[in-house]
Amino acid sequence: MIDARDVTKRFGEGASAVTALERVSLHVPEGSFFTLLGPSGCGKTTLLRLIAGFELPSEGEIALDGEVIGHLPPNKRPVNTVFQNYALFPHMSVARNIGFGLEMLNRPKAEISATVEEMLDLVQLGAFAARRVDQLSGGQQQRVALARALAPRPKVLLLDEPLSALDLKLRKGMQGELKRLQAETGITFVFVTHDQGEALAMSDQIAVMSAGAIQQVGTPEEIYTTPQSRFVADFIGDTNIVPAELLGYEGDKARIRFAGGQAVLANAASATLAPGAVHVAIRPETITVCDAADEAALLHGTVLDSSYFGAGSQMRIRLRGGTEVQAQVAQPSPTGCEVGLIPDTSMLQVLVD
Amino acid sequence: MDKATPKRTLFRRATGSRELRRQPLFTGLSWLVLLLLYAPIAVLIVFSFNDNRSVVVWTEASLRWYETAIGNENVRKAAWISIQVALTATGVSTVIATMAALATTRGGDFRGKSAAIALINQPLMIPEIVTAIATLSFFSILRKLTGISGIGWLMLAHTVFCIPFAFMPIRARLADMSDTFELAAADLYAAPWQAFRHVTLPLLMPGILSGAMLAFVVSLDDVIITLLIAGPGETTLPLYILGQIRRGVTPEVNAVSTILILLTVAMVALTFALQRKRK
Repeated sequence: MIDARDVTKRFGEGASAVTALERVSLHVPEGSFFTLLGPSGCGKTTLLRLIAGFELPSEGEIALDGEVIGHLPPNKRPVNTVFQNYALFPHMSVARNIGFGLEMLNRPKAEISATVEEMLDLVQLGAFAARRVDQLSGGQQQRVALARALAPRPKVLLLDEPLSALDLKLRKGMQGELKRLQAETGITFVFVTHDQGEALAMSDQIAVMSAGAIQQVGTPEEIYTTPQSRFVADFIGDTNIVPAELLGYEGDKARIRFAGGQAVLANAASATLAPGAVHVAIRPETITVCDAADEAALLHGTVLDSSYFGAGSQMRIRLRGGTEVQAQVAQPSPTGCEVGLIPDTSMLQVLVD
Repeated sequence: MDKATPKRTLFRRATGSRELRRQPLFTGLSWLVLLLLYAPIAVLIVFSFNDNRSVVVWTEASLRWYETAIGNENVRKAAWISIQVALTATGVSTVIATMAALATTRGGDFRGKSAAIALINQPLMIPEIVTAIATLSFFSILRKLTGISGIGWLMLAHTVFCIPFAFMPIRARLADMSDTFELAAADLYAAPWQAFRHVTLPLLMPGILSGAMLAFVVSLDDVIITLLIAGPGETTLPLYILGQIRRGVTPEVNAVSTILILLTVAMVALTFALQRKRK
């Protein structure tokens, strides 16, 4: 569907040039809900603007359905955008906003009004066709923006942090709404966000970005359970990142040892690291807390405190090396107690720094 | 509680003392300023309705000076020339100012952009008499070279000095306006001119109307440049008034001046009405 090949984008010239994207390659499958996730300044919005045509790539090319579109102006691309602040035309009614794309494409009047009606139904704003956009609430404006971008039936819908202006409750509702719209229309969605919860909840695939590069692409499960780099592990949820020693590789597994423990096999993305100090990701919910003397314990530490969160308790434990980790358990050990930790080794992930 | 109470009084005293109307002299000063601004105009208007040749001694209300003024063919001719020149200058200068504003806010970063903005605004800082003399000598050369004469030169001169006045509010409005609207239009398949016609222009209209209004008023009002450029038979209303008061102020001049004020106020009111309608 969308293929970005070695796309580089620089702003400015000469010594003051800033590189926003550095040789980014990406494949967005047709009909998928694809999310670009990363902190602000990681280049995700720049990538979106390159796909929309608001910026032209400094190097590399962008293709849509095999056709190179990287050099075309935005009005020549079958791609529509939902802007962060919606950018609804304030001097037009809701209906004319939604019909604007088709109007510019010189579609017959009858077709435009039929599509506008269909879109108003799709976003459940049937009664608001004649309203001015400034008479709508934030959530309603959001729906108009969606309807306006979907009305011309683009091949790709780009969404630039569209939920960030909404309050928490509305945002949760719109997440479901967006999934429903994507499924109903079958249009490929490219969604930009810095909110990992949003990304995990909505996406078919996520590309995690940092510093102008793509760190990892995968399904939400892959990104969550097998983060490949320290950045991804750190950015997605509250993973423990624990130092360990890499002894070598066995097949597609890595043999590692935590300080004071025995060697175990952990998951590794690729056998590229040299033996020595590495970091390993351990999800808090995959840790079993045991007696300090238990021989199965791979890690040892002191309980700092624990807090009850309903389904269980979250314990904070300081490991012997000084690293602080969190573990989710049913029955917390008392504060100050020496404990042993047994992580589920099938969920251990060796990280690339 | 003990700590909170003095704090609250302090706060109250602070806001109380900042209330403008309680400031000493505020009311008196305001009235004085208003009086200085509008009393002369009020006196002028009042005496235009005086049934007497004097502009200082009131006798009786009448419209005779308006009859005289409107019956005076020279006044009618001057008014017509003023309106022709002002409308032409307003139309042309507003179009040029709009294009300049678009270029300097939407044209990206080009070399000499700040210089261009400064050059457009500079005529506002140059003493008008200097511009007038410069225009006079420049136009004399051009007139001689081209052999063209007529009211076109006066219109051209007015157009030129109206541009910076029209440019300011239009550029201010454009600079305030997010370019996301234009991006959204382009995203929705609008070619550049379509985006301009359907999105930029309607959103810019309040700025354009303000600019046009300023240009119209400035042109209608101009004396110095007009005095030097206008040829025979090109007497504008301000020039006519100026010519008349050389022979002393008569109530007829008051009446013509009142008509001029009326024209200006009508133009301002029209602009406000149009802007409100758009909202």
